[in-house]
Amino acid sequence: MRPGAAALWLALVLGVFSPTIAQGQPVLKVRVRDFSDYSRVALETPQTLTFAFERAGATLRVKVDSRTSLRILGEPVDSRIVKSLNWAKQGNTYILTIEAKVAGFNYNFYTLSNPFQLMIDITPEAAVPSRPAAKPAPPPPAPPVYQPPVVEAPAQAETLPPGAKGIRTIVIDPGHGGLESGANGRFGTLEKEVTLAIALKLKALVERNMAVRVVLTRDKDIDMSLADRGALSNNNDAMLFISIHANGSRRKNSNGSEVYFLSLNAADEDTRRLAYLENNAGELEQKIDRQDADDLQMILWDMAQSAFIKKSGQLAEFIQTELNTLVGTGNRGIKQAPFKVLTEVACPAVLVETAFLSNPEEERKLADPAFQDSVAQAVYRGLLNYIRLYSQE
Amino acid sequence: MKQPLERTQVIALAALFIVITVLAVAFFLGGREESVMPSSSTLKEMAPPPPAAADLQKKKVVLFFASENDSLLHPEEREIEAGPTPAQEAGRVLEELIRGSRVGYISTLPPETKVRQVFFTREGIAYVDFSRELSANQLSGSEAEIATVFAVVNSLTYNYKDVKRVFILIDGIEKDTLDGHISLDKPLFPNYSLVAQQP
Repeated sequence: MRPGAAALWLALVLGVFSPTIAQGQPVLKVRVRDFSDYSRVALETPQTLTFAFERAGATLRVKVDSRTSLRILGEPVDSRIVKSLNWAKQGNTYILTIEAKVAGFNYNFYTLSNPFQLMIDITPEAAVPSRPAAKPAPPPPAPPVYQPPVVEAPAQAETLPPGAKGIRTIVIDPGHGGLESGANGRFGTLEKEVTLAIALKLKALVERNMAVRVVLTRDKDIDMSLADRGALSNNNDAMLFISIHANGSRRKNSNGSEVYFLSLNAADEDTRRLAYLENNAGELEQKIDRQDADDLQMILWDMAQSAFIKKSGQLAEFIQTELNTLVGTGNRGIKQAPFKVLTEVACPAVLVETAFLSNPEEERKLADPAFQDSVAQAVYRGLLNYIRLYSQE
Repeated sequence: MKQPLERTQVIALAALFIVITVLAVAFFLGGREESVMPSSSTLKEMAPPPPAAADLQKKKVVLFFASENDSLLHPEEREIEAGPTPAQEAGRVLEELIRGSRVGYISTLPPETKVRQVFFTREGIAYVDFSRELSANQLSGSEAEIATVFAVVNSLTYNYKDVKRVFILIDGIEKDTLDGHISLDKPLFPNYSLVAQQP
């Protein structure tokens, strides 16, 4: 065989087999879309990914951990706000560097499941959506420089106009209570006592510094069902719901703080099912049997909930950031899980796991009023940053 | 006077009884021969598989346990008796989960827990009914509760591809939560982001 023919054969064989090899890897699809006042970077894979954010000037780094290696499928970036996307790889950690055209921007994110999608919304700080979409397309002239989360004395908060438009009532939920004492430590510290102490401190702090009403789901050691906590929040027309908990684990070493918000991994499937029910029921009330009608109610409720997910994630992130800098506990990050109490609430809602009562060292901290003060302070500051962001709307 | 009469009666009754019995036997035997007796080929088809073969059927499954080293769930492979139905087999998967790890991981279900019933629906939901110990003896705290709930859910969805969601019941009834955290009032999707590495 002549060398030329051999090369042709090789090319053919590789041509046939290389796509097959590449197809074995899960694909991570990346795209950028512009909306009226923000750009959305969307990552999509068939498997769930864990991720973390790192912010530096005009860049946002997204560290994505994958169980397997991934094939990244991008498209050219054409956006008013996002300048470039760059990928780097360290083992099974993929680092996406999002470079914005402006240094001053805020970001929000949320996730969807089946398939897993991570949506990152980049909003330039100049683009306060007061004059919606009326702005010309060229890059905004020299926007104010981004200021990293400012840690300042709560006294300064009085100058803010909080509650001016958005937040009127905040509900704080001290976890557990009454017969249900929650997690307990080796030295006898009870979760229900710690959560109440922190909630009372947080209430005092918010009421002293912000023009908002604070309602506690319980202000003493009483039993209260999760449904009642949600109902109380909804009846008070809460704009935000913050549940305070202390964690417990089978392993003694577990430590650190984390903030949860709701995961609605049923959302995609339920949306399809809802569409099916709507399309196939000519006379809705006659054709849908009771079970389906119940399902429909549930789905509508879930969809209402999912409207708050983005804001809940934002609040969770602000609180987590402050817990890390202020409280000095290990950073376990923000997480999503189907917490019952969060499903009952009709507003953005988070659940703060302050530290572990099952860890003797952290139990001592949780029982210490000074530590409780700093947790309350951290949650308060996270709340403040959240209100600053959304009071502009 | 009475005795001979009675003797005659007894003999008559006995004779009648024998006749009836013989007729009945003849009737039933004859009937069976006529209509019910299956042909030899049908017999083979209807015969259940020999029990010895079914006993030998094993299946490798993956169970999820907690670990002393991190807050994740760790897969552990194990061989269990297969079948006869997927739901019955899944019951054994859960029993193994309760029995605990053989390689030093931490079981996330109280050892006193019993699996009462498991059934799969055509819509891909596995209903799993546990005894009350799962909730009553549950260690308090989110991390502990999340580990328990998702060890159950992941262990079922991972081993049974038809199972998409898992509905956990306690003593046959729906419960809000095991211990105040994770919602059990709807079937749960698995959460593989809690898993340390692919088995």
